[in-house]
Amino acid sequence: MVKVYVNGVEVEVPPGVPIIEAVEKAGYRVPVLCYLNDFFSEATCRLCVVLVNGRVVPACKFPVSDGAKIVTESRELDTYRRMNFQLLLSTHRIKCWSCLRKTSCSLLDLSKQLNLGEFPVCSECPLTGDDCLVAKGEPCLGPLTAAGCSAECTRNGVPCLGCRGYIEDPELWRDSMRDLYEKHGVDGEKLEAAAKFFWSFLPGELKKIISEVSRDK
Amino acid sequence: MLTQTSLNRILYGSRGFRIRVPISSCTLAAGAGEVYRKVIKVVEEHGVDAEVYRVGCTGLCFMDPWIELAREGLPPAIYGNVKTEQIEHIIKNYSEGDLSEATAVRFKTGSGGPPALEEVDFWRYQVRYVSRNCGLVDPESIYDYIETGGYLGLKKALYMKQEEVIEVIKTSGLRGRGGAGFPTWLKWKIAYEQKNDVKYVICNGDEGDPGAFMNRLLAESDPHRVLEGLIIAGYAVGATRGIIFVRAEKPLMADRLEKAVEDARKLGFLGKNILSSNFNFDVEVYRSAGAFVCGEETALIAAIEGRSRPRQRPPYPATHGLWGRPTVINNVETLAHVATIFQTGVEEFVKHGTEKSRGTKMFCVTGAVKRTGVYEVPIGTKIKTLVFDLAGGSIEGRKVKAVQIGGPSGGCIPAELMDLEMDYESLQSYGAIMGSGGLVVIDDSNCMVDVAKFFTSFTLAESCGKCLPCRVGMRHLSDLLERLTSGEASLEDIEVAQELGESIARSSLCALGGTAPNPILSTLRYFKDEYVEHVVNRRCPAKVCAKLVKYSVDPALCRGCTQCARVCQVGAISGSPGEVHRINYDICIKCGQCLIACPFGAIKKV
Ligand SMILES: Cc1cc2nc3c(=O)[nH]c(=O)nc-3n(C[C@H](O)[C@H](O)[C@H](O)COP(=O)(O)O)c2cc1C
Ligand code: SF4
Ligand code: FES
Repeated sequence: MVKVYVNGVEVEVPPGVPIIEAVEKAGYRVPVLCYLNDFFSEATCRLCVVLVNGRVVPACKFPVSDGAKIVTESRELDTYRRMNFQLLLSTHRIKCWSCLRKTSCSLLDLSKQLNLGEFPVCSECPLTGDDCLVAKGEPCLGPLTAAGCSAECTRNGVPCLGCRGYIEDPELWRDSMRDLYEKHGVDGEKLEAAAKFFWSFLPGELKKIISEVSRDK
Repeated sequence: MLTQTSLNRILYGSRGFRIRVPISSCTLAAGAGEVYRKVIKVVEEHGVDAEVYRVGCTGLCFMDPWIELAREGLPPAIYGNVKTEQIEHIIKNYSEGDLSEATAVRFKTGSGGPPALEEVDFWRYQVRYVSRNCGLVDPESIYDYIETGGYLGLKKALYMKQEEVIEVIKTSGLRGRGGAGFPTWLKWKIAYEQKNDVKYVICNGDEGDPGAFMNRLLAESDPHRVLEGLIIAGYAVGATRGIIFVRAEKPLMADRLEKAVEDARKLGFLGKNILSSNFNFDVEVYRSAGAFVCGEETALIAAIEGRSRPRQRPPYPATHGLWGRPTVINNVETLAHVATIFQTGVEEFVKHGTEKSRGTKMFCVTGAVKRTGVYEVPIGTKIKTLVFDLAGGSIEGRKVKAVQIGGPSGGCIPAELMDLEMDYESLQSYGAIMGSGGLVVIDDSNCMVDVAKFFTSFTLAESCGKCLPCRVGMRHLSDLLERLTSGEASLEDIEVAQELGESIARSSLCALGGTAPNPILSTLRYFKDEYVEHVVNRRCPAKVCAKLVKYSVDPALCRGCTQCARVCQVGAISGSPGEVHRINYDICIKCGQCLIACPFGAIKKV
């Protein structure tokens, strides 16, 4: 057994195990995505980064060493995790409105854990596929609105009016959102009208998407 | 260690007259092949009693192809930039004792005439420790290497215990020349202490940095030195097999190393009971496909095993390397240093360098300088000594603006900091790295944002894609630089670049991602005003970024010759003969053809 200190808490773990085990034993959590115990531990997503004696290392792969001082929370680490999470999203074609994994999505869980607010209301909405309000031609703002309300309105069949404000980085989802609205023939003017209810100011990106939908009509 | 008799034998050969012609990748590209054939022809036709002697390269690229004539009784004379038609004349004059046309002589007898090597700038600031044989001996002759004291180091090492060999390297303070500067003895000691019946030593000859070729030069010009170092390393850690990892696109380097291995085996420096010492060891040259990331030690091991990506360390190769066995990986130059240290003794090695980093390092100076080449200087030499004294400074009419040090993932050090003494730590604290020792000199005709874009696109292409920050982050950085050079970025983007760059550097899996943001971070640190200018005024101060420059006609100089209108592919220029011409910016695609065509210099970039 080796002794390590996680945020100052002393724990004993077998030598050579990844730091994450010590972290969990000490009662802390770090965001983990690519790590699947014995099946996959190549440390590729770099979301689980922690500081060991001042060095940034992945908790899921880096082995413990006797007396190691591990820090799991700091402003620096927070920046790296957020950055890497956003990089991940930038390559992810988000289609929560039709995704079957929505109820067991590790990305969504992480987004909540990292408090990122990057996902749209669709990620919380139980309606998918044909039931989706957008698919029914309604001017639902769910795909453009920041999640966090548990999709109370759409759950009850009322199209989203965007009371929580628009999602932070529309650029990330632009293509998927446009495809969705266009595919189901949602009227751009109606969308714009709905958006005006809460959003007196529209970021250029959203404006463009909405007007592109109208123009194509 | 090299006696006068040996030196004379090497300089003049058995016939008392040697004509050295460098045959290596770089000199061949400069036309040394024709020179070689011509020298042979002239010698035969005129019945000159001289031996035409193939050597490696001295690293003085700016005078390629060169030849050196050495006849007993005369100082050996080096002739730079020779053309085939001059050769007859050169040989005739030299034979008659007329040395006046030589670029330099190896040593002087009497006064006047061409300067001695120790008097010329490109030589006298150098300390040729590992590169001592480069350009002097035939790389394909093991006997010539032995004549210079070769394999004496191995013999000395084999008389010692393994711990003693490691101790010698420890007292020398030798640090890895492959980039990170890790103490060589420590790596060896860890591998030595592993209990395992199979261990490996690997020579890292990947050298994937564009514009850096000191490893290739050393291995092509003095392959036995590298091999001898590898055998000593093998003995020290108790390895049974050595592998020399070379890129397949450096065939001459691989061929020469292979020949060295064969010859060494014939003479009993490899194989069973080397020099009757009970030490069994053999070496294989491994030719690999090239990728920058394959130079990284865990990726290199993976490449030999048939995969090709780095992995998280620890475990380090010294405990868990090739096929899971303890493995020592050292750079070509590191191993050549090992051999030389054992040949000359530690005292000779520690004479140079700094407290923390002993010895010398070969640097490859390229870019906007008068004398590009490979120069070996003590660690701790000032950047300005390399750039101005050795390499001759910038080309006429230009000013040195910055030096990119450490290859594509190094950093740009501005001209104001040229007094910096280069060692592993100082370079790092200024945002660059030692890397393998490549220096690209950048002059004032370059835009630093564009420079950052160039290196970023290289590392992006070479990212193996295994880990997220490097794979996706570098793409974003590259896109961002593209926007900056097109004048489409905002001030916020500059801050994002800074934050993203730091995040990639700190959280990536291997050192490729760990250093890839260096070009952008260092240019942001020293040349932020240029970035801001690209954003705020949408202007490229160096007038490089195509999308931000405009071509315009200076009416005072234009004579209406119509040349520009004729070369313009898109018909953007109008005007009748004899009248001032005009460029239509709506049509102009900024190809710059008109600028080249105008005989009066009337077209200006603004
Ligand atoms: C992207 C990348 C490329 C590298 N390329 C080389 C190389 O071409 N040659 C080399 O010797 N080391 C290279 N290295 C460094 C090696 O990983 C390793 O540190 C070195 O070979 C160790 O030898 P040394 O201790 O003798 O320096 C590279 C590292 C990285 C991250
Ligand atoms: S940092 Fe880049 S090169 Fe290194 S493992 Fe990650 S993706 Fe591959
Ligand atoms: S969980 Fe992906 S790197 Fe650790």
